[in-house]
Amino acid sequence: MSSLLFESSRDDLEMLVGEVWSSHVDDRDGLEPAAPHPWSAEPGAATTPCWSGAVSVTGLWQALIAVDLAEPSAQALARGMLGLDEGEEPNRTDLGDAVGELANIVGGNVKSLMPGHHDLSLPVVANTLLEGATELLPQIVLDLAWRGEPVRVRVLALPPSSSHHDQFPEVSE
Amino acid sequence: MHALIIDDSRAMRSILRRIVTQLGWETSEAANGREALDLLEHGLVPDLCLIDWNMPVMNGYDFVVEVRSDGQWRDVTLMMVTTESEHNRIVRALAAGAHEYVVKPFTPDAILDKLVLLGLTATGVPA
Repeated sequence: MSSLLFESSRDDLEMLVGEVWSSHVDDRDGLEPAAPHPWSAEPGAATTPCWSGAVSVTGLWQALIAVDLAEPSAQALARGMLGLDEGEEPNRTDLGDAVGELANIVGGNVKSLMPGHHDLSLPVVANTLLEGATELLPQIVLDLAWRGEPVRVRVLALPPSSSHHDQFPEVSE
Repeated sequence: MHALIIDDSRAMRSILRRIVTQLGWETSEAANGREALDLLEHGLVPDLCLIDWNMPVMNGYDFVVEVRSDGQWRDVTLMMVTTESEHNRIVRALAAGAHEYVVKPFTPDAILDKLVLLGLTATGVPA
């Protein structure tokens, strides 16, 4: 995957995430572009209670697609996907399940933007911010808001040169 | 009519259940292909299976292969409902015996349209 592909895919990703939202989460209140939210606070400072779901893509390219939601957004997400009433509180298992499925749908569709064959992992979910492996660099970060709460979608991947190097290792003669 | 919903996400099973119960269908659920096969082997005879691809224990593709290898389930309609949208995956699933393929995200109408196409419902959700 080249940087150029990611640049040309940012609009696709925005459209995709909007489609996921309207199809499975909330067909009335859509996602809005937002300023970057300080998800990670300085050491010792209070952090935003959040949920992260992520899937890995492996194959020709290595990538991690993560969706981060503030706690109220994760609760509303689970409520919407499970068809619960406004007053019903989803439990932690339901929260993790809904966030994981959201990451799975977004990640699966991001995978479809990558040329070549790739495999998608099962989702990983945490009640904190998930960070990718250090060699994975942010390619697209969508800062969004839903009902006034922050939502973020991150696509992290190996830089094209590293991927190309792995794909075509140098042969010493 | 009876639909067996096979997905490791309870949230996704809930979404699919709400769509087909609008049609007056009954539903059963399984969290992976192995659980679904157990239900079939214990006598469940669904009209339709809605099948995710990526699941732990047994994935949806292997479930389709297993079901199609046993003639007693030849009348069960199999529909993949998955994030896997690569052309070769779709071809593989259809070649293995799936009748239809829906890529997530989907709208209720997308599922209902497929059910009409398959002759499993006449006109979608009754008014």
